[in-house]
Amino acid sequence: MKRFLLAILLVTPIATVHAESEDPWLVLQKAAQAAHDLSYKGVFIYQSGDNIKSVQITHTNSRQGEYARVVVLDGTPREMLSQGGDVVIFSSKNEKVVMEKRRAHNMFPAVLPDDIEYLKTSYKARVGGIERVAGRDGRVVFLDPRDNLRYAYKFWADREYGLLLKSLMLSEQKQMLEQMTFSQVNMLEDQGMDWFHPNVDHDKHYILEEASAQPIDEVSGWAIGTLPVGYRKVEQLTRLVPGKPAPVTQVIFTDGLASVSLFIEPLSKGIRPKIGQTSKGTTNFYANVSKGYQILVVGEVPAATVAQIGSAVSFNDK
Amino acid sequence: MKSQVSALIDGDIALEDAEYLYTTLKSGGESTRTWSDYHLIGDAMRGNPVFSADFTERLMARLDAEPVVLVPAAAAKRKRALLRNSRLWSVAASVSAVAFVGWVVLQQQVQTDIEDDTSPMEIAQNLPADYWLAHQSQASNNSAYYIQPANYAE
Repeated sequence: MKRFLLAILLVTPIATVHAESEDPWLVLQKAAQAAHDLSYKGVFIYQSGDNIKSVQITHTNSRQGEYARVVVLDGTPREMLSQGGDVVIFSSKNEKVVMEKRRAHNMFPAVLPDDIEYLKTSYKARVGGIERVAGRDGRVVFLDPRDNLRYAYKFWADREYGLLLKSLMLSEQKQMLEQMTFSQVNMLEDQGMDWFHPNVDHDKHYILEEASAQPIDEVSGWAIGTLPVGYRKVEQLTRLVPGKPAPVTQVIFTDGLASVSLFIEPLSKGIRPKIGQTSKGTTNFYANVSKGYQILVVGEVPAATVAQIGSAVSFNDK
Repeated sequence: MKSQVSALIDGDIALEDAEYLYTTLKSGGESTRTWSDYHLIGDAMRGNPVFSADFTERLMARLDAEPVVLVPAAAAKRKRALLRNSRLWSVAASVSAVAFVGWVVLQQQVQTDIEDDTSPMEIAQNLPADYWLAHQSQASNNSAYYIQPANYAE
């Protein structure tokens, strides 16, 4: 039967038949793997609101492991080198270059989570047509939210290699919020490691930023109730902020694509409590005060999501 | 040459796979300096600065103590044995011409509220940029931080 179907597909010159046969989740799964497994080099355009930057990326994965170098080509010099899950960011600030060590983020084209299954609770996927991006044929996949607690996405996956060629985040009104799109991308043969080094400015001082955040296992004094559907806690840490007597606790949530941070700190003298909601670009903020604590929620999610997470915090009676 | 020295330090190239490099290192010159620069800054970045004068000497001693074996099987086994430092930090350290590596706790911009007012403030008037940056830098799904972090808004 399968062979029979395949024969039909092969002789049917209508592209839509082929499109319907493709599982959108498999396309996304392949794209998630391709971003980590393949070796490629290219330039992509990052756009968020009025901000547009060209970014060069070199990514290799050989028997030595996964390495990447990302260089922002416009504006203030900034680049990032990653090895596996570790990242060092070099950013110019006036006469200095600041080096930061971080855990790896999901960076384009590796924006999809390894566990695609997890997205199914929050998003619906459907296959679109073939569109050309960066001189290559891309299979369009739409990822629409099942509720109003997250944004919609549109992805273009390379038909040959599976790699994402373009990623678009859309508002409820289908307006572009954030976009990353390759203007040029090539697969790499074995490159050696000569490319894996930062561009060094000999006239500048290099300064290492000390990590200020520490992971913690438990929190006391408060608890988080029911989270918005699809969101789960992924990380919990405390950081000392200059000028604040008590450490600030940060809890990070994700639905697999979007992420939200919750900040909780005891109110202290001299720091004015904040309340209300505001937004900037794709980011929404929510602030409230309860039982002597300041709650602040930040995320690239709709306003309803930050408000729900903020209201899910309950404090123990003292 | 520099990148090969870097790979050697990381243990990605075994000494025996880079005999010519080893020989050059022993003979001194530019590669020896690169070698010690990498380690100096690498150690500094890991928080154990070694600024002693005999730094190069001790490195060369370490190098000398490393036997040169030209058997492929043994080579594979010992490949990462030299120094188990992450290549990444060495790469960070490949800022080799840097004259100075300092330690500074980045003072994220704290909003100093001059008036000691306990009445709540609408955040719409005053965007909490420090929290935004902390979110961006820690949340895993955030390409923006690499490209355009909140406090870099131009």
